[in-house]
Amino acid sequence: MTDKVFLEIFKNRVQAIVEEMANVVLRTGFTAFVKETGDFGTYLLTPAGETFGSPLDTGYNLSLGIPAGETIEAIGDWKEGDIVITNDPYATGGMATHLPDVHLIKPFFHQGKIVAFGMCFVHSSDVGGKVPGSVSPTSYDIHMEGIRIAPVKLYDQGVLNEQVLRLFLDNSRIPDQNWGDLKALMAALHRGELRLQELIVRYGLDKVEQGIVDLLQYSELKVRAIIRDIPDGSYDFWDYLEDGPGGYPIRLRCRMDIAGEEIFLDFDGSDPQVRASFNIVTANKQGHYMLVPALIRYFRTVDPTIPWNSGMIRMVRNDAPPATILNPEPMAAVGARAATFIRVMDVLTGAMSKAQADKLPAAGAGQACIVMLAITDPVTGRKKVGVIQPICGGSGARPMKDGIDGMDFAVGHLRNIPAEAVEAEMPILIERYGLRQDSAGAGKYRGGSGIDLKVKILSPDTIMTARNMERMQFQPWGRLGGGVGQVGAAIQNAGTAEERSLGRIDELLLHPGDTVTFLSQGGGGYGDPFLRDPQEVLEDVRSGLLTEDAAETLYGVALAGQGIDESATAILRNNHQENMEDFSFGSKREQFEQLWSDEMQRAVGQALRQYPLALRDYLKRRTMDKAEALAQQGVQIAPDDIVKLMKDIKCQTGMH
Amino acid sequence: MEQGYRLGIDIGGTFTDAMVADADGRVVASLKTPSIPDAPEQAIFNALEQLQKASINIADIGLFVHGTTLGVNTLIERNGAVTGLLVTEGFRDVLEIRRLRLENTTNLYGDKALPLVPRRLVKEIDERCLASGEVFRSLNEQQLLQSVEELVQEGVTAIAISFLHSYKNAGHEQLAEQLIKQHYPELFVCTSSGVWPQQREYERTLATVMNAYVGSQMGGYFQRLEQGVQQYGLTAKVLSTMSNGGIMSSTRASSEPVKTLLSGPASGVIGATHVARMAGLNQVVTFDMGGTSVDVALIDGQPAYSVDNQVGDFPVIIPAIDVTAIGAGGGSIAWVDSAGVLKVGPRSVGARPGPACYNRGGTLPTTTDAYLHLGILQADRFLGGQMELRPDLAQAVLERLGEQLGMSSYAAAQAILDVATANMYAQFTPLMARKGVDPRDFTLLAYGGAGPMHAFLMAREVGIRKVLIPPSPGTLCAMGCVVADLRNDFVHSLNKVSDELQPGELGQWFEHLGEQGRRWIAEETEQGIELDHTYLMYSADIRYEGQAFDLSVTLSSEAYGSIADAEARFHQQYEAVFGTSQPESPVAFVNLRATIIGVTRKSETVVVPAPVKTNYEAERRTIVFDGQEYQAFITDREQLNVGEMLSGPVIINEYDTTVFVPPGYSLTKDRFGNIIGEAEL
Repeated sequence: MTDKVFLEIFKNRVQAIVEEMANVVLRTGFTAFVKETGDFGTYLLTPAGETFGSPLDTGYNLSLGIPAGETIEAIGDWKEGDIVITNDPYATGGMATHLPDVHLIKPFFHQGKIVAFGMCFVHSSDVGGKVPGSVSPTSYDIHMEGIRIAPVKLYDQGVLNEQVLRLFLDNSRIPDQNWGDLKALMAALHRGELRLQELIVRYGLDKVEQGIVDLLQYSELKVRAIIRDIPDGSYDFWDYLEDGPGGYPIRLRCRMDIAGEEIFLDFDGSDPQVRASFNIVTANKQGHYMLVPALIRYFRTVDPTIPWNSGMIRMVRNDAPPATILNPEPMAAVGARAATFIRVMDVLTGAMSKAQADKLPAAGAGQACIVMLAITDPVTGRKKVGVIQPICGGSGARPMKDGIDGMDFAVGHLRNIPAEAVEAEMPILIERYGLRQDSAGAGKYRGGSGIDLKVKILSPDTIMTARNMERMQFQPWGRLGGGVGQVGAAIQNAGTAEERSLGRIDELLLHPGDTVTFLSQGGGGYGDPFLRDPQEVLEDVRSGLLTEDAAETLYGVALAGQGIDESATAILRNNHQENMEDFSFGSKREQFEQLWSDEMQRAVGQALRQYPLALRDYLKRRTMDKAEALAQQGVQIAPDDIVKLMKDIKCQTGMH
Repeated sequence: MEQGYRLGIDIGGTFTDAMVADADGRVVASLKTPSIPDAPEQAIFNALEQLQKASINIADIGLFVHGTTLGVNTLIERNGAVTGLLVTEGFRDVLEIRRLRLENTTNLYGDKALPLVPRRLVKEIDERCLASGEVFRSLNEQQLLQSVEELVQEGVTAIAISFLHSYKNAGHEQLAEQLIKQHYPELFVCTSSGVWPQQREYERTLATVMNAYVGSQMGGYFQRLEQGVQQYGLTAKVLSTMSNGGIMSSTRASSEPVKTLLSGPASGVIGATHVARMAGLNQVVTFDMGGTSVDVALIDGQPAYSVDNQVGDFPVIIPAIDVTAIGAGGGSIAWVDSAGVLKVGPRSVGARPGPACYNRGGTLPTTTDAYLHLGILQADRFLGGQMELRPDLAQAVLERLGEQLGMSSYAAAQAILDVATANMYAQFTPLMARKGVDPRDFTLLAYGGAGPMHAFLMAREVGIRKVLIPPSPGTLCAMGCVVADLRNDFVHSLNKVSDELQPGELGQWFEHLGEQGRRWIAEETEQGIELDHTYLMYSADIRYEGQAFDLSVTLSSEAYGSIADAEARFHQQYEAVFGTSQPESPVAFVNLRATIIGVTRKSETVVVPAPVKTNYEAERRTIVFDGQEYQAFITDREQLNVGEMLSGPVIINEYDTTVFVPPGYSLTKDRFGNIIGEAEL
């Protein structure tokens, strides 16, 4: 790094360029994803495709490590005025990770030489496929998810390729909006190019090129310093998505090796790719942006001044084995990969927690479920579809403070919709939208509370969907004696004779008078709850987030009237054995893992590798069914038995 | 009694500024006195005393407008009333859940702002209205009073009432307010439909809660002030500035204090607008640089307004002049991070201990130390020479910084300015992009303590060619008080698609809003404010049906009731922003808005003298800038002849600030006393 004053100036200028690009998209982008969830991104890339600038304040900001190199190479012959369009995960080597994310790339030339690339993406509201919006968890093949566009020049030396444009737009349900969004992205690219030119004019090409090199190195150095402070070692962790093949959970497993200033992430032991759209195409690119965000977030928490670029993950290597959910073979479906992405964060947070005991939060709610309604307006006969609310839950407790109520880091960019706007738009009554009592994982620092949403339906034949519900069985884990958070639940007609638990909702038909209650997860607790300041416990009781019973049983705080019963509390607390358990996972997961230990799950995964991809999903669920049945009968099953079990099942199919 | 004088007083963090203009708009007095944070009114009394000494007849003051930071400070320091909140059953957590979104998703240790009302002081009330405004469950009066009693037992002295859909039907809120006032006359009570009847329960509730939280403090303050000023023979009614740049009676400001929270920066922009208009400039970006940051605002004929404002930790949807804080200020600390890279801010030294050169115990280098060391700031002329700066102390901290960076103290000082400018740039250009504006078409109008010192550096970085520094740049907010108009905003959340609207319905709603405005003006003028004329402006938030965002569309002042006209304007504006529109698609009217403006009598010839007549000999001084030595021309504003042109580097010493015109810019003084700098190339 040559000039450490210029570096700071250059860092600010680069940040200004990408933020300005993002604001151009924000101002002129069409889709609701731009305005409501900020699901778009702008980047400055080195000629090799490494991100040296990405916005922090505007748009989606957790995509450092996005691998653009393969796309840049695929085009090869870049000319001034070119703009390349693509959305295909498989053709871009995991640059795009589902089809709605339409990317544009433009080379920024100076005197005949590429100094940088500008890149933008926006989550389009529709790119075709089997459902409006293009994303359905039940898609099992990428062709069900919309049009695939391998990298191709939309503009060739400034000239629009109308055929390519037409092909794209004709395959979408909302061509005008998509064209509008593309124009917004192009405006952002032009702005970025102009600003980079100005920078070169002001400071000279050499200084700018050196600045790019230094800026990446600057971030790299800062992160290496952080990793140096993490004890060397191997740290294992795994967590689950629920309701995978055969109803079994889908495991995501990582071994994180820390050695000096380097991190290696081994995802061996993660489950095979699934016949649903939860797969993430990483192509096992090193430091892939769907694998590393938990690390990036941790680095930035430790040092908020690290420049926001891909230098932060240069020392991260990973191995996501082929044909797994984190590196599927073509043409696995990928639309609903967000659920997996959230859980990968939990896995890496867990692994890092083992390395850095007192730095990371317990698990948060770990879901972003979007509740939607479809009705036919009884008066106009028009069909109406609307979002009721995104439902997240509490964050995990932190080593020095409580978790955040109702909101989790993983989905922290989401905004809710005012109940008043929902009721004005849709024939429903929101009876309750608040925090869920007794949902937070207990702890010296408690988790964030989950959400309690109760909706009453007023019109006949209402269809409700609530996709991406997770952690309905396995609780958000607690740390160092902290308890688990409550799992999520959905209940129809709660408190009536017709009350029934709904489990995961895909589609639900409802009628006037029906109610649906969503109870979302509380975050896991941190530290032994018996060490929590009794005054804090009292405050939670007085504010109605904690029942008196829970205060006594979970925290050892007895209450009397408006205050604390000091002597009873002393007795409760003195007779408590301090709990320092590293992780608490809750009974459901422990129960599952009694049979399905790490070794057993690995054995299933390894056995499956002997069979063609097309059979694995079937063989996995049947083998697990069989093993469960045998275990029920009291038969001891060992990892070594799995190969044979599977072989028998294969043979029973009659296939050779 | 001849009551032609107009007095404007702006209470800032460090200084309280006062300005008196006569009936023709000529400024006859202007002064500064230290602010007294614990008793802000005392600084006003001090100012009045000084004005008396300057032979101003206080009794001749017919209009007294003042701006205070009391409300916003109360919020930021969290020392307002113990406030209780009444909400519709099922919505107890409206303040806790907010709009979900986290401020910073990359900080695992981050917090969401602590609500102004803790959960235990939020009571759910048995009542319910529907989105149509229809009553679904009537208000349970007994349960209401029971809840209030519980809150009173908890020590609550202020109550905010915010029921669902009260923007459509305020009945329950009004009934609740009435009952509470009847049973608990000592409580400060306000309703969300009274404060700001717009759909969106979180933002509306929050505005109501903020109002209750600061209400009694503000009321007490205005009472003390009104009584106090009478002793000086001031008979004029006290008026307060508002966040929307307008003014209103202090009585009303006491009951709607949430509308004053952003009044400080707003009056600066109003002052700037006045200066710009006289100088014949339509497009201006303001640059108000203080100790910790720079406030910027856009003026395109009129100041830009925003309904997406931030006060402390909280969003405010009541229209306010759109002011954004960016970058660094005069007190921002320069430091070197673990990788050896120079940073400026975000921490700053504040008034105590201040920059190292203040000799108040500060040991950290700041931008102000850098100005002094480079020779831009002059040690013996700070605050008209009242405060001696210590170049040796600045040099010492800069030498230390230079050692860390491996450079001379001069290079380090220049580096601080460059990095500070880059910080500002990094937030300024994205902001302008969001507004859809190319700042290079604009003039930078600088004020505030450090604004005139840094404005040209910023202009150079952004590519702005023209910079204007008004006379007495430290007291522009006080001028804003003097020239402000009565102004208030009204909203109605309609939420109807155009084909659902009855003929004439739009017009009726606007009439209804306009009537509220006229009634407001009538009540305000009863207090003795004379107006030149009054007018109404109409606008609507419109969107294509089904789209998630809307555009604010200004409507015709005559045909505001015409759906067709509103639609046409919407399509046109949509086209301008997005490059395309869908004239065949149905259009939804989300919010209807009216703004009433009562123009106060003022002449357009305000000419402002400097607060203190300084008389230095013209001289030259060596400064170091951009790594080179220059002989800068040192002068003050009075010595410049109107129209005479000078080339930078020029330093103009003012009472409360220093204007620095770097090489590459030339300057002239116009007939209003403005310094106007222009890029030479």
